[in-house]
Amino acid sequence: MKTREVAWRVFASEYNASTLEIKGEGEKAPSYVVTPLGAMVNRVFIVGLLTDLQNLGTEGEPYWRALLSDGMNKFYLFAGKYNPEATLVLSKLQPPAYVAVVGKTRTYSPEEGKIFVSVRPEKIIRVEESVKDNWVLEAARSTLKRIDCLEEAMQMDSPTVDELTKMGYTRALAEGVVHALPHYKEVELNRYRGMVLEALEQLLPERSGELSIPADILSAGPEELEDEPDEGDKEELVLKLIDKLDTNKKGAPLADLIREAGKAGIGEAELEEINNSLLDKGLIYEPTIGKMKRI
Amino acid sequence: MMNKEEIAPHVKEIARVLEGKVSEQDIEKDLDNYLNVYRMSLEASKRHIVRKYGGDPNALTKGERKLLSQLGLSEQSVDLLVRVMSSNTREVTVGGNPKTIQSGILADENGSTVKFTVWDISKADLKAGENYLIRYAYTKEWSGQPEVHLGNRVVVELRPQDEVKVPDSVVVPQVGGGYSAPIVAKVADLRENMNNVTLTGRILSLKTKEVETPSGKKAMFTGVIADETGKVEFTAWHDFGLKDDEVITVTNAYVKGWKGIPRLSFGERGQVTRPKVKMPTKDELSQATRKGIDELERTGGASDVIVTGTIVDIKKGTGLIFRCPECNRVVQKGVCQVHGKVQQVPDLRIKVVVDDGSAAITAVMKREVTEELTGITLKSALDEARETMDPDAVGHRFEEQLLAKPIEVRGNVISDDYGLSMNVNEAKFTTVDVRTEAEALLKKIEVI
Repeated sequence: MKTREVAWRVFASEYNASTLEIKGEGEKAPSYVVTPLGAMVNRVFIVGLLTDLQNLGTEGEPYWRALLSDGMNKFYLFAGKYNPEATLVLSKLQPPAYVAVVGKTRTYSPEEGKIFVSVRPEKIIRVEESVKDNWVLEAARSTLKRIDCLEEAMQMDSPTVDELTKMGYTRALAEGVVHALPHYKEVELNRYRGMVLEALEQLLPERSGELSIPADILSAGPEELEDEPDEGDKEELVLKLIDKLDTNKKGAPLADLIREAGKAGIGEAELEEINNSLLDKGLIYEPTIGKMKRI
Repeated sequence: MMNKEEIAPHVKEIARVLEGKVSEQDIEKDLDNYLNVYRMSLEASKRHIVRKYGGDPNALTKGERKLLSQLGLSEQSVDLLVRVMSSNTREVTVGGNPKTIQSGILADENGSTVKFTVWDISKADLKAGENYLIRYAYTKEWSGQPEVHLGNRVVVELRPQDEVKVPDSVVVPQVGGGYSAPIVAKVADLRENMNNVTLTGRILSLKTKEVETPSGKKAMFTGVIADETGKVEFTAWHDFGLKDDEVITVTNAYVKGWKGIPRLSFGERGQVTRPKVKMPTKDELSQATRKGIDELERTGGASDVIVTGTIVDIKKGTGLIFRCPECNRVVQKGVCQVHGKVQQVPDLRIKVVVDDGSAAITAVMKREVTEELTGITLKSALDEARETMDPDAVGHRFEEQLLAKPIEVRGNVISDDYGLSMNVNEAKFTTVDVRTEAEALLKKIEVI
């Protein structure tokens, strides 16, 4: 029986933190991105706020890059001529807008052991806020289920798919967790619990602040503090690095940028923030995924 | 959903591990909450509760005690509390040496039965009519069903008569060997090609049909029988005097299927009894059963189920379509692939993929369901197509109305080479009380 790949509900922080890809062997075998919590994703369903939309291609042959925020972090979406339906819808959209996306995982690996994940939309549609709220709830629920499953697996000597399915978890999740555990080793579950709390707070705005969130969850929260005093200087520095590394005028390879920024004391997570900020300000763009270029 | 009786042994076990530090009432409340409100698995819930009260979750049962209905096909070491329904000793030759083995049928309080074999009669000698606690047994597959084996590691303990009470509906012949154990099944357990099935349920509908057979006219009885796990269509090839709305136990029935939807059949070799058992009313049983899509993926088709999920794809053939008046096939440009040029008949249809995050199913809605859900009638669809000169216009409108929306669909589910699909009889958009659900989830994170 041919089964359609299920559409996982994941928050961007979990999805973007994925560094494990399982490539399908054989002609039509599907590939999966395994997230730190064990979602084995080939297809995703995401709903969020479209915050940024840029055509990196030409008028005649558009190649869209869209940023979709789940309120905490952003999904990267890319759509070009091989996704005519999504491309057509994107060309008519104007951020900010709530949109729902059904899409396939896409990865880019600049070097061994390093992957960047994005989404290639199959379907994209503008939706009401209520659809977004409903999605946040579903994503929260399924994230908690993954946290549960992973926590159980962590306590077993050698967790197997059979054991986890016997405990009532779906086969897909059990398989994902069994793949994720040896790869990610110690996953900070509290960080993800904190993320779910934050997501649920969006749905209960008047409750935020009065929640009894343990301090360690808060400090480990996925959202980095922005607006550090020297933010501007660092952006300036990264812009200079991009110029310097853009040797063939096709953009500075991200891997090089990470290395050079590291030497200057800018960590990878921070660099991503800075890049995002520069992208948002329209100072740089990504001509191809994994390359940064000044505008 | 687990009810109070099913939860009870687990409450006792948790209380034992916690050494009486917490009252059984409190444990029961917690366990009920985890299982039925947060839908966590039983094992996970038990571990969480023990941990919550400062106990050691590893002290929960190790030598896994199982009900016969929970047995897997290759258990390594399992404990069973059972009644021996039949037992026969015989000589076989193993490696040229004569050996005495025993085989027969075990039953438990839930009325499940299983075949067993004792390989070392000095370790275990099971007598019919006695109750035993069997420890460290293992299972192997025999034509798709588990069979219990008692090897040389086994420990057997004779238990008092009142410890295992097998329901009266379980009938096992006492003599002879080699037949398969009757499978006492709930409707949800029925699978294509099962034999010797015992099922208890209420008859929800009944029809009589006369059929011509080589031996003359014969009456055939068809209908729907249901228990709390679902509904199944049945055919009786013999007049058992069945009546609508009565509760019956059928033994020696078999299961045939069509595209994964099981159908229960029983004939002269079957038996029908009328047990005095509690069974939900006809009205209660007539409700459709709610299923997760992953559950349907595991079990195949099912009659009259409700599924909820999000519409993640709109398939071709959604909107205004035209059919052949002869064969009902969808025609392209007025040409039927079988009947050639035909006077095409317009129709309205929706074909979508519904995904609940666990798995996906194709839902096909006929005209009535489509009109009701979208508010667009066949007539207005035809008008729109004429005005816009675009027969696909309605399909596009459906896409905008449907994509990414949460929906609830009810109907029969079939399972074939193309995966799962449902012929939808009722469909409605669902609205979730996001705030209440969010509060409930928050509480869950806070307790853990």
